[in-house]
Amino acid sequence: MILQTTIMPEQASEMAWHVDNIIWFITAVTGVTGLGVYLAMLVFCIQYRRRTPNALGPAPTPRILGSHKLELAWTVLPLFLFLSFFAWGAWVYNMALHPPPDAQEIYVVGKQWMWKVQYPEGQRVILGQNSLAYGGDVGGEGYFSGVMVLPLGRPVKIVLTSEDVIHDFGIPAFRQKIDAVPGRVTYMWYLPTKLGTYDIFCDQYCGTNHSLMVGKVMVVEAGEYEKWLRGEWQTGPGKNATDGSMAHQGRQLFMKLNCIQCHDPQKARAPVLEEIYNTDRPVRGGGMVRATDQYLRDSVRKPRAKVREGWEPIMPAFGPDKVSEEELNKVIAYIKSLKKGQSMDRTDVAVPPVGAPTEPPPPAKTTGEGGPK
Amino acid sequence: MSTVIETPAPASHEHPEAHEHVSYLKDGYSIWSWLFTVDHKRIGILYLVFLIVFFAVGGTFAGLVRLNLISPHGSILDNDTYNKTFTAHGVVMLFLFLIPSIPAVMGNFFVPMMIGAKDMAFPKLNIASWYVWIIGAGCAIWALLAGGLDTGWTLYPPYSSRFTHTNVVPGVFGVFVMGFSSIMTGLNIIVTIHRMRCPGMTWGRLPLFCWAMYATSLIQLLATPVLAITLALLMVEAASNALGNPIGIFDPSLDGDPVLFQHMFWFYSHPAVYIMIIPGMGVVSEILTCFSRKNIFGYTAVAWSSVGIAIIGFLVWAHHMFVAGISYYAALLFSFLTMLVAVPSAIKVFNWTSTLYRGAISFQAPMIFALGFLVLFTIGGLTGLPLATLGSDIHLHDTYYVVAHFHFVMVGGMVLAFLGALHYWWPKMFGVMYSDFWSRIGSILVIVGYILTFMPQFWLGYHGMPRRYPNYPPEFQFLNIMSTAGYTVQLAGFLTILTYLTISLFNGKKAGPNPWAATGLEWMTPSPPITHNFDHTPRVVCGPYEYSLNLTQTGERADVR
Repeated sequence: MILQTTIMPEQASEMAWHVDNIIWFITAVTGVTGLGVYLAMLVFCIQYRRRTPNALGPAPTPRILGSHKLELAWTVLPLFLFLSFFAWGAWVYNMALHPPPDAQEIYVVGKQWMWKVQYPEGQRVILGQNSLAYGGDVGGEGYFSGVMVLPLGRPVKIVLTSEDVIHDFGIPAFRQKIDAVPGRVTYMWYLPTKLGTYDIFCDQYCGTNHSLMVGKVMVVEAGEYEKWLRGEWQTGPGKNATDGSMAHQGRQLFMKLNCIQCHDPQKARAPVLEEIYNTDRPVRGGGMVRATDQYLRDSVRKPRAKVREGWEPIMPAFGPDKVSEEELNKVIAYIKSLKKGQSMDRTDVAVPPVGAPTEPPPPAKTTGEGGPK
Repeated sequence: MSTVIETPAPASHEHPEAHEHVSYLKDGYSIWSWLFTVDHKRIGILYLVFLIVFFAVGGTFAGLVRLNLISPHGSILDNDTYNKTFTAHGVVMLFLFLIPSIPAVMGNFFVPMMIGAKDMAFPKLNIASWYVWIIGAGCAIWALLAGGLDTGWTLYPPYSSRFTHTNVVPGVFGVFVMGFSSIMTGLNIIVTIHRMRCPGMTWGRLPLFCWAMYATSLIQLLATPVLAITLALLMVEAASNALGNPIGIFDPSLDGDPVLFQHMFWFYSHPAVYIMIIPGMGVVSEILTCFSRKNIFGYTAVAWSSVGIAIIGFLVWAHHMFVAGISYYAALLFSFLTMLVAVPSAIKVFNWTSTLYRGAISFQAPMIFALGFLVLFTIGGLTGLPLATLGSDIHLHDTYYVVAHFHFVMVGGMVLAFLGALHYWWPKMFGVMYSDFWSRIGSILVIVGYILTFMPQFWLGYHGMPRRYPNYPPEFQFLNIMSTAGYTVQLAGFLTILTYLTISLFNGKKAGPNPWAATGLEWMTPSPPITHNFDHTPRVVCGPYEYSLNLTQTGERADVR
């Protein structure tokens, strides 16, 4: 038990390989340099130790003031080495930050002290342990509860935010982490390459049970993953009933929150949201804004900050008391799913019930379950 | 040549107060003669006494943290208490020990002596800075002990401003007040070095410790106000929240921006890292030259690299935020600039090593500490590179790798340098010598203890163990136990040091004015120094490290006295 520490942590994603390469490259280069310095020190300390019996006082030493050539060498050589670290590191960081376009989105919301994971198809998993359930016996394997399921060999994109304070969603086996910042959306993506179960840690200090804001990620075969998305495969604590896709639930919220009263293509008093995601739109006062996750989120929380050109700033703000972060994710999933001409009719009430099983999605693609039209 | 001492006593010596060749320690014994002193040496001692107390407090908190981590379940503390403990450890060690350590003790005591001045430029500002520091420290200690603070020393909002229910406002206020003390000391040292140098003490003959203190003081003067602003804003948000009418500055639910806080906080707190390490670099330059009887290798490069670090150090703050959701391009820029700041540190290490070449090296305690600094600081510096590199930081950030890295720099670097300075200048400060044998044992124990404590943490961090966890997956237990074992070795080292230094105060062998046969002006006076440092203003004729010529800066033989 004690000696379970392995030599190398497991590499379970494509990025893990890249990150390990750069870490070991730097470690090797700096290790050789450092050992060289130590060797020189050791040799000097032995070779030039004081041999006279009195421990102090004058001793014949040469008056060496320096050497510009040497100093130039050990200014320029380290600089080039450091810049090579920088360039390689920037390349890896660039990969880590920019997901491939076909990555499937998974929404994660951090909250003291749990992670709420929402899959677009409607599965929902809670990782970590709430302080209310935090009994006397903590630690060990017992406190890990909830499992986030990911498919082997398919890219997934994590869309991350926080409800309260700053958290950080880190998976050491994937060598990736990013802060979950309240009011902001951050991204990360994985390409899992190895079946197994790995730790998820909160890496940004967030209060009392920071160390219990942990969970497991389980990488499974793509087929099993799809079954799990449909609710047909048991994964233990993470099991949830399928209750409709996120976009579908977002559609219901769109009606419940009366968004449809104005964002209605038939009688529009506010911008029609079809195919708006990730496109540039003009805003009042000049300039363009790209309708990213961040912009869509801000437009619900603080709608008057950046108003679309040609529309009146009439929308009320929807704070966390009216729309929770998870609900907001659903609304945004709905907006993302809207295709041309798919907006619902304001009078349309024929919505499939919650809990109806949904079709398995085509692999690695967000589906827009926009309802029958 | 030795005109200073052998000059016949001038007429002024016939005045009654002429027998004032008394040491600064004997110039008044009442408590008031200490509390109202304006003597830079006494102020240095006042700082020293409290620093040692605060170091013991911070070290005790560290011991509680390490003891708790011997079990994956957390052996002695519950989560809240653990969080308060590591916060207290961080706040005490940084603001009450590391930041004032060498600048306020050694800087105060030795900068005027090394430049041949009677005192600091502003003696009253100097004692005021101590009072301000004590008030701030008292406030912070009170906040930490009476209820505690559980935000981590980094105080990230919105947790610190709106979610925690601990003593944020008094604790932050204490740090805010201590900042003014830091500004005062920095300003004082800058003006002293500019205005108070004795004849012949040109910038090119300035001891490297003074160059380092100058660079440090620049940072203290320019960066600390930003911390004050940041903390004031944080106090506004936290206090208004506690009063039930929150004003939003950093909390996004009140239209604030939490990442703004991080930018402002690190704009101070990254340069603050250099406040903590540059003085140590200055100390090491003094000790290495003295105990290897060599001129420093490349005086100009070592001097200007301190200033270079101080300046570039202002431009790298966001490397603490690579995974905080900052823009990709900002991350690129800050990673690049961080690579630049690594260069001057590398230059210093290479120059120090070359200084040893063809020396006549002896291994008293100060030298062991300086060599220990060189070994541990090299590890600390080099392990900073994977953190400055973007691609590796996304894995290592906020893990124990970071903890190990900055402890190697802060503890392995600055604490060793502080101990080295204390041992180097102890005979000058108190006129007594400590046990040679026990000081070597103590210094080796401390260095071995450091390595044992923090080496395993690199491995823990690489395997993913996050910071600030009171409990952890069981596979990390073995290395945590090793780390805690290292703490006990360190503790033994510190207790040894405390013991023989205390004993030396009472029956240590009397030290002459210049026990190490060193060349600096501070060794030209009796030990302990007289109140006004020098009988006559010294006249400097050469550079600070003419060990091969065996010449002091006034041109006398270094080994005469």
